[in-house]
Amino acid sequence: MNTVRRAIFSEYLVCWLCVAYFVVVIPVVPGWLSVWSLSNVITTMLPLVVVAVGQMIILISAGIDLSLTATIAFASVVGASIMSETGFVPNPWLGVPLAILAMLLVGVMIGGINGLSVATLRMPPFLVTLATGMFFSGAAILYTSNVSATTSIAGLPRVFKLLTRESIPLVPNHLWLTIVVLFGVNILLHRTVFGASLFAVGMNSNTARVSGVHVHRTICLAYVLGGALAATAAVMLTAQQETGDPKLATNKLLDIIGATVIGGTSLFGGKGRITWTVFGVLFLVLIDTSLTMQGLPDEIVMICKGSVILVAAILDALRLRFAVT
Amino acid sequence: MKGEQMRITRRQFTTGTLTSIAATALGGCNRSEDAGKKTIAVLFDGLYTPFWIASHDAIVSKLKARDFAVTEAISGQDDSKQLSQVKSMIARGVSGIILVHTDSNAVIPAIRAANSANVPVVSFNRAPAESDAFSIAIRADNRKITRATVQRMVDVARQRSGTYKAAILMGHLGDDNAIARRDGFFDVVDQHSNFIKVVARIPTEWNADKAYAGLTNAFNANPDINFLFTSSDFMFPQIIQVLKAKNRYRTVDDPEHIVFGGFDGDQVAYELLRDKYLDADGIQDLEYEAELCVDAIVDMASGKLSQTEGETNPKIIQDPGFVIHQDNLDEKRDRMWGYTMWLAGQGHGELEQ
Repeated sequence: MNTVRRAIFSEYLVCWLCVAYFVVVIPVVPGWLSVWSLSNVITTMLPLVVVAVGQMIILISAGIDLSLTATIAFASVVGASIMSETGFVPNPWLGVPLAILAMLLVGVMIGGINGLSVATLRMPPFLVTLATGMFFSGAAILYTSNVSATTSIAGLPRVFKLLTRESIPLVPNHLWLTIVVLFGVNILLHRTVFGASLFAVGMNSNTARVSGVHVHRTICLAYVLGGALAATAAVMLTAQQETGDPKLATNKLLDIIGATVIGGTSLFGGKGRITWTVFGVLFLVLIDTSLTMQGLPDEIVMICKGSVILVAAILDALRLRFAVT
Repeated sequence: MKGEQMRITRRQFTTGTLTSIAATALGGCNRSEDAGKKTIAVLFDGLYTPFWIASHDAIVSKLKARDFAVTEAISGQDDSKQLSQVKSMIARGVSGIILVHTDSNAVIPAIRAANSANVPVVSFNRAPAESDAFSIAIRADNRKITRATVQRMVDVARQRSGTYKAAILMGHLGDDNAIARRDGFFDVVDQHSNFIKVVARIPTEWNADKAYAGLTNAFNANPDINFLFTSSDFMFPQIIQVLKAKNRYRTVDDPEHIVFGGFDGDQVAYELLRDKYLDADGIQDLEYEAELCVDAIVDMASGKLSQTEGETNPKIIQDPGFVIHQDNLDEKRDRMWGYTMWLAGQGHGELEQ
């Protein structure tokens, strides 16, 4: 029984699974160790890691954000409309910083709306973020149709596109941005009052309130931070696709939530770590990439990913049960 | 060796078992009959209408007939996922990629990635936006086929006499094909503004539900619409529902008949033509397009065609298509892919009249 409990509570279970899976598929998937394959895994996982960490912060506060993909899409088209050749500020040296700033502001704004609604109006996070997600998905399409003749915005400056290129093989430029973001969030979670408050609110908000924690402010900040990180992911994805796309990341919500859950972040709040989330994303991307390279149909890939996420959610519930009893 | 060193923990055992199962499952997916064959990746953005399903089947069967192995993936209209799929296929070492993208701008990085790995790309049915990335696009001459289809509708309308209120169901305006079909429609009706007035431009974004809602609203605002063109045949079931609800679903010999045209050439279009509800349909010659597509990828993979733009390998190869209508149905239906599908199913699952 103790061994089972240790396995379930192990911090490194997903890490070892990643390593084992990576090694096991080497002889099975042709080209698995090629530069293209490794580069693909890295570039696919970086934006997902950033937005999944945002979701993790919100999950720690015992909330959930279903609007993160809409935030990415809306931020993408707003940023692209500013810096594109036909945009509001076509000069790249001025346009790119302004566009990135605008994208971050979009993330903060949507996160702020979610956070205020959940914290002060006490609305269920599921409902609020579902509604804002729908609103900003539609707004992204409407905005694009007003600023572009087609349903996407092209002609982005070369300097912006360089953000996701590989200056050194296997080291895309946005790897550094991701490292900085993860480092910053790690400090925020483990070296600040906000971080301690976040875990306290997630574990038991009433106890946290009695202990003097600003519960409303903490929850609100969690959503703002989540929105800002989604906007950062939007910067990466927009540069990667070289296009402001109102449907960008629309289908990634399951991956974002799934990766955090696989990583061991609790759906019940109060528990989560950046390294766990990184390995959760890595595991999901490894499965996705290897099965695609193997030429398996999309429905099989989805079934495999769904099964892994389901197992992770069951493990999360078991963790809680073992922890309580 | 001492027994102590041989002992493994339960976690190691569990991890090993899980990974072994995964490896066995993945290994079982390796198809021995494809060993030694060149592989072509067929990457569609979705199989959401009969046209895409028929296209996919035609391309895959033609590739297999030429002794190629085929590997496939569907992006679910997610361009970033398709970029990752293209990179995966490059890593896998495919000899070529046949691609159906969603957004003509967002597909450029995927084509550029394939270019940098010297893997040829053929874009099927949709052309990517103008850029430095090279692929050969195979597609129907949408504007020309639409013009011919709408011209036939205009001829029918003129024969029936009277004035006409027209409606068009437009596709996704991020799709060049949808834009070309819209423009082809207006090229013709604008020349006949003396007796045709366009009262409804219905955006559908290639979504059948939106088509249904949009057409219902159009008929509520203009109950006397009597000239209707849809940019894709896959919306016929929704259109028929609306026409039935408005009591306007009439055959061509009925005085209350709406002059009715479509584009694609699917099975429902054939049934509507046969049953005399549809006046004209623009046909994409699917078999021909699939053949062009496979020819192009095979020639590029074998080096017969270079992977840069030139006189011998233009960026776009057009299928001229044709129009099928009440007068030439028996003569041309054999080239209509929807008729082939109907024959294969012997009319099973026919549209309820």
